[in-house]
Amino acid sequence: MERVYIDTDLLIMGGGTAGCLAAWEARRVGGPNLGITILEKAYIRHSGSLAAGQNALNMYLNQGTPEDFVCYARYDLCGGPVREDILLSVAREVNETVALMEREGLPIKKRPDGRYLNRGKWNVEINGAMLKPITARMAEKAGAEIYNRVYVTNLLKQQGRCVGAVGFGVRDGRFYVVRARAVLLTAGGCAGIYRPNNAGDAHHRIWYAPFNTGASYAMAKRLGCKMVGFECRFIPIRTKDTVAPTGTLAIGMGAPMINALGKQFMKENPKWVEWGGHSAPTPIRVQAFLVETAEHRGPCYMDTTRGDPGRVAEIKEQYVDMSPSLVLYWAANDIDPSKEPVEIDVSGPYIVGAHAAMAGAWVPKEDRMTTVAGLFVAGDALGGAPSRFISGSWTDGRIAARYAVEYLRGVEFPELDPDEVRRQEEIAFAPLTRHRQATESKSVPQPGIRPREMEERMQKIMDEYAGGRTRWYWIDETHLQIARKKINHLRRNQLQYLVAEDLHELQLAWDVINRLDVCQLVIEHLLYRRETRWPGYANRSDCPERNDAEFDCFVCSVWDPETDELTMMKEPYVQLVPGDRMKQSI
Amino acid sequence: MPPLVDPTRCDGCPHEVEPPCVLVCPGDLMVLDAERKKAYCREEADCWDCMTCVKVCPRQALRTRLSYQLADVSADLRPEVAGDHITWTLVDCRGRVERFTVRTLNPEPEGSSNSPPRE
Repeated sequence: MERVYIDTDLLIMGGGTAGCLAAWEARRVGGPNLGITILEKAYIRHSGSLAAGQNALNMYLNQGTPEDFVCYARYDLCGGPVREDILLSVAREVNETVALMEREGLPIKKRPDGRYLNRGKWNVEINGAMLKPITARMAEKAGAEIYNRVYVTNLLKQQGRCVGAVGFGVRDGRFYVVRARAVLLTAGGCAGIYRPNNAGDAHHRIWYAPFNTGASYAMAKRLGCKMVGFECRFIPIRTKDTVAPTGTLAIGMGAPMINALGKQFMKENPKWVEWGGHSAPTPIRVQAFLVETAEHRGPCYMDTTRGDPGRVAEIKEQYVDMSPSLVLYWAANDIDPSKEPVEIDVSGPYIVGAHAAMAGAWVPKEDRMTTVAGLFVAGDALGGAPSRFISGSWTDGRIAARYAVEYLRGVEFPELDPDEVRRQEEIAFAPLTRHRQATESKSVPQPGIRPREMEERMQKIMDEYAGGRTRWYWIDETHLQIARKKINHLRRNQLQYLVAEDLHELQLAWDVINRLDVCQLVIEHLLYRRETRWPGYANRSDCPERNDAEFDCFVCSVWDPETDELTMMKEPYVQLVPGDRMKQSI
Repeated sequence: MPPLVDPTRCDGCPHEVEPPCVLVCPGDLMVLDAERKKAYCREEADCWDCMTCVKVCPRQALRTRLSYQLADVSADLRPEVAGDHITWTLVDCRGRVERFTVRTLNPEPEGSSNSPPRE
């Protein structure tokens, strides 16, 4: 395979929300001669979870202090655990980063008094159809060397230090070998490990980007990083069928959640009232929906007929900025959202780190460096710090870049081990090689398994045994043990048969490999946390209560490449902002 | 929501190194059929409906349609992209037309440079 060798100071893996701002910041603090390289598997101006746009930035301090924000973020995950240090660092800079992006062209809606139009306490409304091009332009302005259509398969480690990455060109089929003095992993979160709500030709009509396939988590795990929070599964409430965000309706328009009887169950059922009613923590609102449905009071809706009429009239305009499919859905199905409530549904679970959930790589300190020297994470890839969203991920990327640049000033350029590189090249192209050999050989030992087949088997296993939709997201030890066995069988005994016909399918093969790695993390973390801390996200029928004595802490893991097992461990919760973790401060 | 290519409008962008729809798709789904000189979606089920291809096509040859599993096929939603705004035209199943114009970009303020400030 033809090789492309790249030497750089800072390698950024994933040209997304955090990655592009990291490049910009690295140039700002690192000077004009700093080598900054971005590897992006798609086309940076339109790739990743920002591709369709967004109509709000969900982390912004409209009022209060960074400490108040931390109180909110930990409250929203039922008191945590959360990394208060990371959240404070982001909260201190996020407003300034948002102002920067406004200067760069992002239209932010304004109130008559000129302040940003807030949506609730911590969000601002934007016209975000061009969020991704505006974000990508920051990387372009930084003069980063951007490689589009390069799919990174693995990070490289030498003597305990991350020294670069390898991958394949999606268009040119070449093998890319990058060595770097520091690596920033910003390849997003993970969708698609569970069977989706919609079947067949609508299977990618999901909330999170289906092209974010857990590469961050899989590669960090394979490199030996300590990982955190994979039991905190994100099960969001979204619009039925089109799975579009509902914050626009709930907070933006004040449309309450109702059941089929028209009851606002969040404020009428004392159980939910005790948790905060309409502003109960996100998992609790999910739990309430699950209960209403299980007790046969569904379908449930966002009642736009009771929302602020002035805002309801603008619903379609709000949604074309991020989910045009929803607008088309209403038009095609003769639905007028201002005259009838909008049906909602749950989906996923998704595995993410920057939304109202916290999976990712563990960073011992605020410097965003993982437990592998030289490897930094930001955005969805960074675990333990929920509710950063887009603006928080921009900010996170900037902060990580500063630390990465400082770090790399103190390290030498690595010498790569040519045997390891050769081994990685074989691994990268193995599915293609296998397919070619199978078609060329005269005997056909075992037919190859296509990525789509393996993905469907994986999603079925996770759905049925690791608490997916067909079990209404319930989990228990018995089922999880079966999930573990079946997923380990795929990973240990079946991946060797994975084949790909062309470079596009080779991407799909690696998507499956990475997702299966995430499955292992999710199953083992769910098994280890023997309690229910986040009702709605991870209901353990066999451990339905919260167990602070044992589990008021982070659950972490480290993968052992020799045994293919995870060693589980705890990390303590460090509370920096005083106060009741189960209450908001403002 | 698979993107449909109108063969009467698509010309395969012969003067581009890569047709814009092929260039931009976050899922690497758009492909140029070199023989027919038309773009097509290699796997409609894998589309996420981000509509980037639709917005970027210089001949407005692409439109999106929802999977029949979710909706009737009787409506249409088209973006017309200008420098700093998009005008969306929505035709619903009863033939009613609505238009939305949404800003996408603020102009850069005067005096701003094209490179980030040095620390």
